[in-house]
Amino acid sequence: MPGIDECLLEAMRLPGARGAALVDWTSGLALGSVGEFPGGDHEAAAAETAEVARLTAEQRAFTPDDGGEGADPPVEDLIISNRDSYHVLRFVPTSFDSSVFLHVWLARSDGNLALARIRLGEMAGRLVLG
Amino acid sequence: MIVVDTTPPPRLPVRDRTGGRERAGGAVSPMLTRLAAERATGVLERERGALYLVEGRVVHAESPFAPGLDVLLLTHGTLEPGVWWEAVERSGEERGAARLLLDTGRIGRGALEVCHLGALYDAAYFALAPSSTPGRFRYGAGHWFGALRPVPVDAVERETLRRRELLDRLWPDPLPDSAPLLRADPAADPLPPSRQRAVLALVDGVRTAPEIARELGRPAFPTLVDVRRLAAAGLVTARFPPPVAQPPPALALPQVNDPDITLLKRLRDALEAL
Repeated sequence: MPGIDECLLEAMRLPGARGAALVDWTSGLALGSVGEFPGGDHEAAAAETAEVARLTAEQRAFTPDDGGEGADPPVEDLIISNRDSYHVLRFVPTSFDSSVFLHVWLARSDGNLALARIRLGEMAGRLVLG
Repeated sequence: MIVVDTTPPPRLPVRDRTGGRERAGGAVSPMLTRLAAERATGVLERERGALYLVEGRVVHAESPFAPGLDVLLLTHGTLEPGVWWEAVERSGEERGAARLLLDTGRIGRGALEVCHLGALYDAAYFALAPSSTPGRFRYGAGHWFGALRPVPVDAVERETLRRRELLDRLWPDPLPDSAPLLRADPAADPLPPSRQRAVLALVDGVRTAPEIARELGRPAFPTLVDVRRLAAAGLVTARFPPPVAQPPPALALPQVNDPDITLLKRLRDALEAL
């Protein structure tokens, strides 16, 4: 039964992982973080990614055809790429009311998006199911 | 092409890196900063809540304005009430309720950490609100929950300041945080996101934001965020002044003041004669 730190350390084992954090998208608070983050400040990075995650979770354009009302949030993950890295944000559904996501920063040269998506999905499930 | 123009959302505030630590230490609670420095163990009781420290780190926080861990874990059926209450009753000096809950295997460490950290920062936000009375520290007092994931004091202080700033940027009036909320009738009806709709559905002119949070089994600060966003969208207003004692309707009839009406009539006549 992994805690937050074990989960983030597991995320850091992904190929190319530079940093990993568990962030609350309502407040922008990082509940935990390991590794490095863009700009060198994990709190600032958390606040910025939280804003993108919140907007994504709230847009009706991104909800599945069945309305997605049952799932909170209706979005599974969010991928952002730039010239040298990938950011993968994986929403974590919980049985209690929360708004958290896993954020992994991957170097583009050795990051594997498909693998990261699958692994983060598994980690999100394990993190809250225990 | 139809371009839909929406107001860009306010950016989540980011801590000012220059000298933020000193400011945070001074602005929230100098007493707390001192207790962290001396690695104190005990409970800091303030007007709006309490912070529990173990060796200078925050292990738990409580506030009457924030739903407790029991509300968060039981409302949505994360834990069965029996499991929760047994852990609370059996908790003692050596093994706190957190340890006992994990030992039952009914909740994973990750889930409990996420829920508890959320509740800790949530209650700390209220506990560290500006108060009119000085705080009081009782050395040695522990909490039955036990230590799960201690948080440095400066992280809690920084987050509390950041949250104040976030609310202020969303809608600068703090009244909706504590007053009974009323639904406003918006001319245009922008449908808010589902989490805000859940809050809006409970706005009835009586409930306050913390009461809505409790009813939804949701931490209070996210509810304040939703309420301020709803207020900014013109969907919710706060009752002001907060109702005290409602007089019977018969006594509340408007008192018609004849001299004022005659004055207004004369004023109208004079204006028309111009």
